[in-house]
Amino acid sequence: MKTKWYLQLLVYTVIIMGALAFLFPFVYMILTSFIKSAYSLPRPKEIFSVVPNLDNYFLVWNKNNFARYFLNSALVTVVSMVGSMLLGCLTAYGFARFQFPGKELLFRVFLLTTMIPGVINIIPQFLIIKNLGLVSTYWGLWLIYIGGGVVGSTFFLRGFFQSIPKEYEESVLIDGGGNWRIFWNIYLPQSLPAIGTLAVLSFQGTWEEYFTALVIIKDEAMRTLPIALLMFNDKYATNYGWVFAASIIALIPTVLLYIVFQKRFVQGGFNEGGVKG
Amino acid sequence: MKFYKKISIGVMSAVLAFSLSACGGTNGGSASNGNSDKTGGNPGNTGSKKVTIEYWHTYGEQEEKVLTEQVVPKFEEEHPEIKVNLTRMPYEGLKEQVIAGVAGDAAPDLMRMDIIWVPEFAKMGALQDVSKMDGFEEVKSSVFKAPMETNYFNNGYYGVPLNTNTKIAIYNKALLEKVGLKEAPKTMDEFVAASKKAMEQGAKGAIGISGPHVWGASPYFWSLGGALTNEDYTEVEGYLNGPESVKALETIVQWGKEGLIIPTMLGGEPGVWDGLKNNEYFMIDDGPWFFSTLMNEENANFNIEDTVWTQMPEGIGGSRSVVGGENLVIFANSKHPAEAWTFAKWLITEEPQKILAKAGLIPTNQKAANDPSVLKEPYMTEYVKQLETALPRTPIPQYGEMETIVNLAIEKAVRGESEPKAALDEAAKNIESILNK
Amino acid sequence: MSIPLASQPQAGKKPPTATRMKKGLKQWMAVLPFIFLGVLGTAVFVVYPMIRNIFISFQDYSIMPNAENPFVGFENYVSAFTDPNNKVLMAIRNTILNVIVTVPINWLLAIVFAVLINLHFVKYKLVFRTVYYLPIITSWIVVAFLFRFLFAGGEYGLINFIFYKVLGIFPEPVNFLSNYWTAMVVIWLFHIWKTVGWGVVIYLAGLQGISKEYYEAAQIDGASGIRQFWNITVPMLAPVTAFVIINLVNGAFNFFPQVYFITRGGPMDQTQTLPSLMYMQAFKNFNFGYASAVAVMMGITVFLVTYTQMKKFGNQKML
Repeated sequence: MKTKWYLQLLVYTVIIMGALAFLFPFVYMILTSFIKSAYSLPRPKEIFSVVPNLDNYFLVWNKNNFARYFLNSALVTVVSMVGSMLLGCLTAYGFARFQFPGKELLFRVFLLTTMIPGVINIIPQFLIIKNLGLVSTYWGLWLIYIGGGVVGSTFFLRGFFQSIPKEYEESVLIDGGGNWRIFWNIYLPQSLPAIGTLAVLSFQGTWEEYFTALVIIKDEAMRTLPIALLMFNDKYATNYGWVFAASIIALIPTVLLYIVFQKRFVQGGFNEGGVKG
Repeated sequence: MKFYKKISIGVMSAVLAFSLSACGGTNGGSASNGNSDKTGGNPGNTGSKKVTIEYWHTYGEQEEKVLTEQVVPKFEEEHPEIKVNLTRMPYEGLKEQVIAGVAGDAAPDLMRMDIIWVPEFAKMGALQDVSKMDGFEEVKSSVFKAPMETNYFNNGYYGVPLNTNTKIAIYNKALLEKVGLKEAPKTMDEFVAASKKAMEQGAKGAIGISGPHVWGASPYFWSLGGALTNEDYTEVEGYLNGPESVKALETIVQWGKEGLIIPTMLGGEPGVWDGLKNNEYFMIDDGPWFFSTLMNEENANFNIEDTVWTQMPEGIGGSRSVVGGENLVIFANSKHPAEAWTFAKWLITEEPQKILAKAGLIPTNQKAANDPSVLKEPYMTEYVKQLETALPRTPIPQYGEMETIVNLAIEKAVRGESEPKAALDEAAKNIESILNK
Repeated sequence: MSIPLASQPQAGKKPPTATRMKKGLKQWMAVLPFIFLGVLGTAVFVVYPMIRNIFISFQDYSIMPNAENPFVGFENYVSAFTDPNNKVLMAIRNTILNVIVTVPINWLLAIVFAVLINLHFVKYKLVFRTVYYLPIITSWIVVAFLFRFLFAGGEYGLINFIFYKVLGIFPEPVNFLSNYWTAMVVIWLFHIWKTVGWGVVIYLAGLQGISKEYYEAAQIDGASGIRQFWNITVPMLAPVTAFVIINLVNGAFNFFPQVYFITRGGPMDQTQTLPSLMYMQAFKNFNFGYASAVAVMMGITVFLVTYTQMKKFGNQKML
């Protein structure tokens, strides 16, 4: 069967229009990042006729400690991503495969927490970190990011873990392996796409996290990238060329990570996997 | 179990290795600062050990350069026993950071804080009363009175004025010539008449109210005879909504209806500076940072010579502007209040104030402010003069909430959603209810 | 679902308590190594702060260490509804509007784009999926910068430039962020642009699970493409749709960066949502008790609204 050419054309028109609607703002942002004007709103005509150059990128990279904050963010994000994955997998495995009294209650409490906005929790979280003596350390950030992210990753992964047929376990059980072996040899390899997806989401959630980082980190040298981004939004006036050059640098790692993983991307709620905060 | 241990140890050590190497790589110098701070923080260590004090500020780029390259080294040279650790805070989300710092006993020793925040934080108990500190009277007599008073709360002073500012009227020279004026208008009537002419000549805006809020509108509101409170800042009812205030707001609303006010007020474009620079706005008002930024701009096609600046136009309330600026406060949980006070006192002496003035920061120290080297920037004299008649925003702990309410009233009136009188009546009522809480 | 049955041994004959305790304990010992850290982390950094907030909502709370924080009963709750400017009511209204406006649009766009991309003759499916998903992985702060920039007032913001200067559809440049409705529209567009890709990707996955045979049968019956869409695709995707809608509703309830980074609640505090309102009340005006009271009320409402559906679909993830 062959679809009529005009129907094909119509369908292509619609989805290409859709794609343009998503792509065009990025293009406009990239074009703006080439503009060298001072603190004023660039005119669309200037933007469309700009000559691509990397001047703003070099300038921004060396300004406001941007390069250092970029590396700081990389450290914070990678560690908390690894931690989140580990904890998420373990917890999801526990909930997916074991029966134990109070499981339903515990699960409902988890569920409840996903529905209350997290913005208000910053102060109590901060006080806990302070009592642990971890203010202005990355350990403080890691604890909040990992501890606060468990629920999301558990929900995300549990579904995948539950769909793994029980028969797979038998070979391990026959070999005399226990729960850990099943976890390591069956559940993890079987759910790699899900874990990879979650890793990307977790990376993104931490990479862009702003409110908690602002409150926990007091040392200027230890700040993370989103803070640097907002530092470009000056008190008196905004230089759009700089702001967007900085934004694009900040976007590159997530986009790269996504493109690498995207073939095997699986789905979950868009509120999950990221950091609640 | 064994298996789990293996994984977790593996991960942990990987994590550790990574974090250690990366910390070493990225933090370098500051890590040692942090350590020396901790040792200095032990109460046992006094005397010989060098004390590090934490100072949070929000200086802009130009200003920060002066601070780190000239001011602080000079202080550390004169006071070798004290080291000042500077942290530039993002303006965005600053209050959250201060709150978290205060709540978690993690605030710095000192902070440069917007003058209107001081009573609010003082009431919370977050700041130290410096009026009992050694040498306070001397400090008090060396600075201007109005900025000093912004630190007053509950029979004490909770900070010292670090720099002050206000806004003056800045005209676009080309447009001024277009309406046939050699000099900027002095009185409100002349100003309004010239504005109307400028609009006829094709200007996009003439009266430079930057937004429907106290900071933007109060110079005009006060110059037209309006008031926020009585003189002791204790009563609002009958002042904010008194006949003079209503008349003043009505005049502003009328300007808006006639299209005289720059579109920026209600969120339109061009921005204030853009409009002036593109010869689209007849007049704007702004602080000294306008000039210091303008003069530092490279290859700009609009220069300081293209502007004419003067006092705010004089109405029945006089030529009024609004006092801004920053105070230096010491936090209640500072670990080194004595050293912090030493630094605070030093910062408002003549020399450092003169250095900071180079970055466009108006000294609060009277001697520094009148020093020829400071006044040599052409615009500086105009600001110092305007400061004599400028008014502070209400220095009360509830000001933050009060301002939200006043802003709302102004915005409702200029948008035509409410009659000026009704808007001010409602605002006065709401403010009274906060004050009486 | 396995969960509701989990802790209930066969109804009817209950084993003696001691045996049950022993069994329970044994089960716990088995599962504990896996969930211990996760549960601990959640308890400390999520559950405890929430409980603490419930306490704070009954206090006249000051954040100073060693402050007294007297209990004031329901005062914070009462003041949330007796506020002369009706801030809370306004925020509730906006929250409801956000759900009503964005959920249907988001859903329709997601399913239409997904179905079209999934059509057999469309090439480069992966490219389309990637492009549609790009906004999802872009940081909220950056997208907010971008939208503020695109929707800048005056004739030089791109949207005004196109619709006023080039096309002449707007009679004058619109100051989007300074009027209530236009600001709301920007917030909605921002949200939809940022999140549609998620729905598209979910539906694409769901569509791949529908057997081609249904369509072939329909084709033989002579059903048109649109009929096939309504009679086969939509019903077959019902579980996916339920999952998508629950997530969209939950997302629309929780507008925070959308408001915080775009309008700050302005003009005149009219575009606040409950999360943004509580954040600003807490951190700008130090009204922690009030903010916590709003948070508690909101939590209860969202819980009641979505709980029943969540129970049905929430743990049903598709592959």
